[in-house]
Amino acid sequence: MEVVIQMILNLQSFVHTCSKKMVAQKKAKKTADNINARLALVMKTGEYVLGYKQTLKTLRAGLAKLVIIANNTPPLRKSEIEYYAMLAKTGVHHYDGNNIELGTACGKYYRCCTLSITNPGNSDIIRSMPSEQQPSS
Amino acid sequence: MYVDIGSDRFYKTSSSIFHTFRVTANNLFYFLHPEVRSFLFPASKSSIMGKFMKSGKVVLILGGRFAGRKAVIVKNYDDGTNERPYGHALVAGIDRYPRKVTRSMGKKKLKQRSKVKSFVKVYNFNHLMPTRYSVDINFEKNVVNKDVFRDPALKKKATREVKAKFEDRYKTGKSKWFFQKLRF
Repeated sequence: MEVVIQMILNLQSFVHTCSKKMVAQKKAKKTADNINARLALVMKTGEYVLGYKQTLKTLRAGLAKLVIIANNTPPLRKSEIEYYAMLAKTGVHHYDGNNIELGTACGKYYRCCTLSITNPGNSDIIRSMPSEQQPSS
Repeated sequence: MYVDIGSDRFYKTSSSIFHTFRVTANNLFYFLHPEVRSFLFPASKSSIMGKFMKSGKVVLILGGRFAGRKAVIVKNYDDGTNERPYGHALVAGIDRYPRKVTRSMGKKKLKQRSKVKSFVKVYNFNHLMPTRYSVDINFEKNVVNKDVFRDPALKKKATREVKAKFEDRYKTGKSKWFFQKLRF
């Protein structure tokens, strides 16, 4: 019983910090390695979808927790996904690398321009990534 | 798939690949059902990802005869049906937008130019582009529904009901963006 109360108290403080406004931090080189490591953990333990069509599906269904876009996606497609994510109140992370690198970061042997994380598993990617990006207008 | 809650109790969540999802204090939040989450943590309601393809939402039609037209979702079927095993929606849209009116026009001319030609159609979600706008019009459920498409007379009735409701809304001056043609 005490364990449950402790967990709930931890969670309340966690939610409280989430709702606080995060100051945009300086983009250090560590950030790039950070997200690669976190992505690897999501691939191993979480649930995700790769590809433009499936990310739109998850966004429409409200299942996407975070959307990651490579830097060489066509600008129209990029804005479309950002708009969908705005409607779904989902965070978008602009990955610092092109689709080849994003595919490699996911551990796949193919390119990936867009991916959506539906369940982060053991990773803390959802909490740490949205706080580091600039708030989109 | 079993969820290890750190104690001796195991909770079977979904029957996907045999994975042990360790639920810690950090990620228990995501394993809770959204209803439970909003109950336990009312402040987190805003962070719950929302389904936005709901009735009242304005969408753009992306292809077909009505490409580029604006429409309102009347009823959405997120998980599909047996006939349409994909997410789709019944929409009511504008076929011919009302023409521009100026102050110098007489009453008869005004009436002619404020007419709206409407349509009802069922679209796959993939062929719709949602927008941030919404128009809350209550269409008669027994007039505007999916069965309308089997009988052309019923379809005409539904289109007429949509036309009447749209013209009423246009005349009040609300939802201006909806009644403007999308320029592309």
